[in-house]
Amino acid sequence: MPKRLAYSLSDEVLEHVFSFIQSDKDRNVVSAVCKSWYEIERWCRRKIFVGNCYAVSPKMVIRRFPQVRSIELKGKPHFADFNLVPDGWGGYVLPWITEMAGAYPWLDEIRLKRMVVTDESLELIAKSFKDFKVLVLASCEGFSTDGLAAIAASCKNLRELDLRESEVDDSSVHWLSHFPETYTSMVSLNISCLGSGEVSFSALERLVSRCPNLRSLKLNRAVPLDKTANILRLAPQLVEFSTCTYSAELRSDVFSNLAGAFSNCKELRSLSGFWDVVPDYLPAIYSVCSRLTSLNLSYATIHSPDLIKLVSHCPSLQRLLVLDYIEDSGLEALASNCKDLQELRVFPSDPFDVEPNASLTEQGLVAVSLGCPKLQSVLYFCRRMSNAALVTIAQNCPNLTRFRLCIIEPNTADYLTGEPFDVGFGAIVEHCKDLIRLSLSGLLTDCVFEYIGKYAKKLEMLSVAFAGDSDLGLHHVLSGCESLRKLEIRDCPFGDKALLTNAAKLETMRSLLMSSCSVSLEACKLLSQKMPRLNVEVIDERGPPDSRPKNCTVDKLYIYRSVAGPRFDMPPFVWTKDEDLALRLSP
Amino acid sequence: MKSYIWLQTVDGSIQQVEQEIAMFCPMICHEVIQKGMGSSKNYAISLPQQVNPAMLSLILDYCRFHQVPGRSNKERKSFDEKFIRMDTKRLCELTSAADSLQLKPLVDLTSRALARIIEGKAPEEIREIFHLPDDLTEEEKLEPLKNATDDPRIRLLNRLYAKKRKELKEREKLKNVEVDEELVDDRSVDDLLSFINGDDGDSKGIKTSKSKKKNRRRKDLLKSTSAHEATKNHNKESNGLNSVCRSAEVRQILPSVGATTNLQDVEDDIFPNKNEFDDGDIDDEIDPTLKEKIDREVEDFARRLNSDWPERMQEILSLGQEKKPVHLSLNGKGS
Repeated sequence: MPKRLAYSLSDEVLEHVFSFIQSDKDRNVVSAVCKSWYEIERWCRRKIFVGNCYAVSPKMVIRRFPQVRSIELKGKPHFADFNLVPDGWGGYVLPWITEMAGAYPWLDEIRLKRMVVTDESLELIAKSFKDFKVLVLASCEGFSTDGLAAIAASCKNLRELDLRESEVDDSSVHWLSHFPETYTSMVSLNISCLGSGEVSFSALERLVSRCPNLRSLKLNRAVPLDKTANILRLAPQLVEFSTCTYSAELRSDVFSNLAGAFSNCKELRSLSGFWDVVPDYLPAIYSVCSRLTSLNLSYATIHSPDLIKLVSHCPSLQRLLVLDYIEDSGLEALASNCKDLQELRVFPSDPFDVEPNASLTEQGLVAVSLGCPKLQSVLYFCRRMSNAALVTIAQNCPNLTRFRLCIIEPNTADYLTGEPFDVGFGAIVEHCKDLIRLSLSGLLTDCVFEYIGKYAKKLEMLSVAFAGDSDLGLHHVLSGCESLRKLEIRDCPFGDKALLTNAAKLETMRSLLMSSCSVSLEACKLLSQKMPRLNVEVIDERGPPDSRPKNCTVDKLYIYRSVAGPRFDMPPFVWTKDEDLALRLSP
Repeated sequence: MKSYIWLQTVDGSIQQVEQEIAMFCPMICHEVIQKGMGSSKNYAISLPQQVNPAMLSLILDYCRFHQVPGRSNKERKSFDEKFIRMDTKRLCELTSAADSLQLKPLVDLTSRALARIIEGKAPEEIREIFHLPDDLTEEEKLEPLKNATDDPRIRLLNRLYAKKRKELKEREKLKNVEVDEELVDDRSVDDLLSFINGDDGDSKGIKTSKSKKKNRRRKDLLKSTSAHEATKNHNKESNGLNSVCRSAEVRQILPSVGATTNLQDVEDDIFPNKNEFDDGDIDDEIDPTLKEKIDREVEDFARRLNSDWPERMQEILSLGQEKKPVHLSLNGKGS
């Protein structure tokens, strides 16, 4: 048998092999092997991830992948979460839904992040996709409970409705009641972002009681604590639960009811919510603590002693989100109790106060790095740090994949030596060879970027603020970080040279956002002209950048690669290279 | 008395196999029950051409083990793991053979094994393993440009790429004409690099005022970075473009006749600023007047930025080893 024939597999067999290859990266590789694999792969691709909705047009996606069942889209850049992207910038999902409504009648999953979703879009989804199952709207906006009502009423097979951190307008419609009595398919429901008027508790109870497959339920804040027990008793099979307000006058009957309800939930592994928590009610969850793998207390304003007590009941904890009230002592307790910890996020209880209101320093993080060998992901807000601590952390945790340090006050130096944190972060990137995400803070010179460029070969996302001395800093990152996909920079002295020297690099990344840096309009124009596959957007609410003096720098710059060309839905404060800029500005 | 089924493989040889083992294969089962075949040497079941004696032997080993009802899942799994250890060539043959006999559990087992071989590899590696042709054009591949610390190479690759795209267009127009592929372009470095000799002095060393605080809303902080985000979809995005430019697909997708005209139309959709790609300067694909304009701007810009960037870079890099002057924060905070 000829060698090549021996390896030949029929199209059907290849398709079957490909069905076991699900990661986007591998699917893309498969499509780049040869013509026949490309063809087979595109017809059997079921899931599409588009990290920037403006990088490609819906028509192009549909043309290439005719049989998609699941799509994930992201709109605004990450910096939008910090109010660094003005309202109305873009990220509209309606054009996508409109195209897909016709092309993908069997689409059953839509996941969106930071996009503008209208009621019209939701109604179109409800109408167009007969077997619709999963709707995730993360940090989205632009829709109301009217849209939700349409989904509830039409999507008989809906399994997942997740509105995490979205802004929903209250249209006073009791949308939950729009789920028909015959509807029983809910598996995951997250309505934690909704306000008080938007959820009828009795409708919620009825819904929960008739959905036996419900595994994840995240309630909104407004549901009173005494009702929580009722819900839990209706759904003892829950794996993930987010409580509503965890506050009430301490009453023993409410407490014992709650404790009893929790103890029924043998499958419970993840808890969150706990708004306005009253510490005396915390012991009600002790019965589930030993099995908990994830605990989110970032809304719980309880203090170190209560936190220490709670944490000591949770030996299986893998993920903890908490406020800085936990203090160094609490983190030390965490380090000795929770040996399986993989992810830690410590948030500031009062970020705007100049003086620290909790005794949380670098020591807490060092303790965790020493005590928790599986630590991989860190987000840590604090007010002081030292290079020595960072080096220790790096040496203790070479398996870190995500390290985001936020020293609250910009340009804070090492409190022991007065030095910048170049050496400390340098140690992080040198030791943590699998680091894919890094956020810098504190006093930093160009040196830190040299280290990053040299060592951070797997780094995919970098966030920089108030750091560096010159273009050299940016140049090191762009020329050295081979895996870089997303770069967001604010208030750094990076300008034209670094950007233009590394223009080609920008096409290998998803996007670059620079806010309040030193890039000139000419450089933007030049970049735009030289790199047709990049969209170079100048975001400037002060008015037309052209009207400013020549050496003025642009306010915000958003550069992203695209095969869809310039977009057509830009608001007035976004400027791009145009054939004739004057034409654009004229009324 | 044991019953046997007679099977004939593609090479003509005939053998008899215990019935309960052979019947584990749906295709054989079907032949026996629906067509009454296999009961004697003269009525041996002709197996599909993918099933040569070696493959049949393997498949029968698999069936012999799995058709025994009493085995635990653990045992079966353990057997499968050992069974599947073979070179890729045999694995492919076995997959095809199992598929032709409709033996789904074995097809799944071998397919999964092939999937694991494919995962995590680069296209070239996969081509080599499976002896596949490298027949996608440069454009169709549109691989993300590998990062080189060497800037000029990136420029060169860009130009090469652009040139290939242009060549592809020519090729489409003159269908059967062979185009000589010029693989090396030894032109000098791009305009952009040549004027980058700006002074470092305009780094304003912006220290922000204290009032500019990082407004970190909780919203962000609670987001978990999903692993999905780590996907690089350059191929996918740009292949959306490719799928249109490949004339075969264009014929499929666009109903009207004339592949070349379609290609043009479709390209208009994708390259709205098409005039930028008109002929004139092959390297930059910008028309001459526009190029002149850009060149003038570039010179102008260079003059304004005045000089010795590379030397300055060296200086700063060497200084980086020494201690830098301490920047004390203005409010004396630090503890």
